[in-house]
Amino acid sequence: MSQDDKYREIIKREMAKLKKPVNLKVFTSQKVQPGGTKIRACMDCGEFMALLRVYEENSNGMLTIEELSIDDNPEFVKKFDITRVPTIIFIDNNGRELIRYLAAPKRGEIQPFIQAIFTFAGAPNYYEATIKQNLDRIPPSTIKVMMTETCPYCPQVIAISNSFAIASEGKIRTIIIDIMANPDIGQYYDAAGVPYTIINDQKTLVGMVGPNEILRALIGGNIHVQY
Amino acid sequence: MFNIDMESIDLEKTYDLIVLGGGPAAIGCAIYAARFAMDVLVVGKTFGGLIATTHIVENYPAITSTSGQGLMDMFKDHMDSLNIPYISDEIRSIEKIDDHFELNSFFQKFKAHTVCIATGSERRKLGIPGEEEFAGRGVSYCATCDGPFYNNKIVCVIGGSDSAAKEALFLAQNAKKVYIIYRGEEIRAEPINKERVYSNDKIEVIYNTNVVEIKGDNSVNSVIFDNGNKFEIEGVFIEIGSTPNSDLAKRIGVKTNEKGEIIINRKSETNIPGIYAAGDVADAPFKQAITGVAEGVIAAYSAFDYFKGMNIEY
Repeated sequence: MSQDDKYREIIKREMAKLKKPVNLKVFTSQKVQPGGTKIRACMDCGEFMALLRVYEENSNGMLTIEELSIDDNPEFVKKFDITRVPTIIFIDNNGRELIRYLAAPKRGEIQPFIQAIFTFAGAPNYYEATIKQNLDRIPPSTIKVMMTETCPYCPQVIAISNSFAIASEGKIRTIIIDIMANPDIGQYYDAAGVPYTIINDQKTLVGMVGPNEILRALIGGNIHVQY
Repeated sequence: MFNIDMESIDLEKTYDLIVLGGGPAAIGCAIYAARFAMDVLVVGKTFGGLIATTHIVENYPAITSTSGQGLMDMFKDHMDSLNIPYISDEIRSIEKIDDHFELNSFFQKFKAHTVCIATGSERRKLGIPGEEEFAGRGVSYCATCDGPFYNNKIVCVIGGSDSAAKEALFLAQNAKKVYIIYRGEEIRAEPINKERVYSNDKIEVIYNTNVVEIKGDNSVNSVIFDNGNKFEIEGVFIEIGSTPNSDLAKRIGVKTNEKGEIIINRKSETNIPGIYAAGDVADAPFKQAITGVAEGVIAAYSAFDYFKGMNIEY
């Protein structure tokens, strides 16, 4: 079995376990061909959407991937500040964006993406109790995690950050950025190493960091915990 | 593997064994414990440990060649086949209470009859000016992670070990030029890797030289040698060994040696009954994935033996 086949099998096996409905919005761009038919205009969008359809098709109808063209949905584009395509966003029932992917959930990134879908659907969240206990000390925050496909530690930082966002009642938002697909973002932050985690554009955590370091950076102090 | 499947974790249960760590020693220990029918849980900060960052592993018996990540994927599949739960977290305290240990993190509290500390090690820092300032901006400790940023660039690897040689070989696949900068007179790589380094046109070794400063503006542009010379370079990969992650062990009274490594005997026992150690955090003189696995396996057997002696029905 090739590596790609193995990853496809993981998606099939895990997505079949999803028991509650999840909707994800994916922004792409389209152009009109002579004759009026529309095709995707962005270079990566076809492959990106084909990958997401594998998740959707193996979820027994529980996962809906809603493709939105930025040209036809200016109100969404404005509301969620969509500046590049393809972009995946997780929006909660209150209309708050929790997670944004500027990265394809393939290879090593499959597992944290699936974990995010399941936790978003209501599966128990290991970090939830401590996040909630410290919620009043966490300012509205954005965690940007820059990753590459070959980075062995990136999926672990992404899984933690996504779980924090889902537990935070809208206070924390994560943005997962494939730095090779979005080199301008990497250059903006002078990032030449991954995982490269930026909290509120102020604090930078370089390399593998665990939940303690990320939570401390969010709080700006010690973690309070009561079992 | 870093997925936390809460359905498979019982926070009220007293586990027979909790393994701390996420590398080969920890997983080897957990696999054997599961096969001894022990209730086992693995809690680690980093699944894969340091070996996950190794681009090629050619000395793990029965596996001719794979990547470090590939090896850990196989460990993961083996763990999954035995339904061993893994949690991405760090334990900050362990306390003996009656017949069990209580382990606390910032996120949960756990109970276990026995504990195996296999928390590994982390890359040693040079401790020179510029190292911290340019971390992630030209200074790296992981070629597998960060190599793609240096395609067609000139980089250096600081260190003379087998790991340093392998980092250089990996980087040379896409970099314009790779310098190995080593303080000694001859790199200490395994002969097969030493030969590969010497026969690679892109790699050059600079001997008897220490880097004393890393300089740059937004990112690294040069290093300063101990003879005062400035050497223009775009990436600095530091590979000068590692330090054991034994702070937790020290805090709870586990004995360590002068290097901070946990002292274990041939049964992987520490000085505290019921607490075992294995892998890079322990005091073996030759640290390899295979030796760590062996220590972890022995720790599982010793924990099983100790646990049976407690006469607890399971």
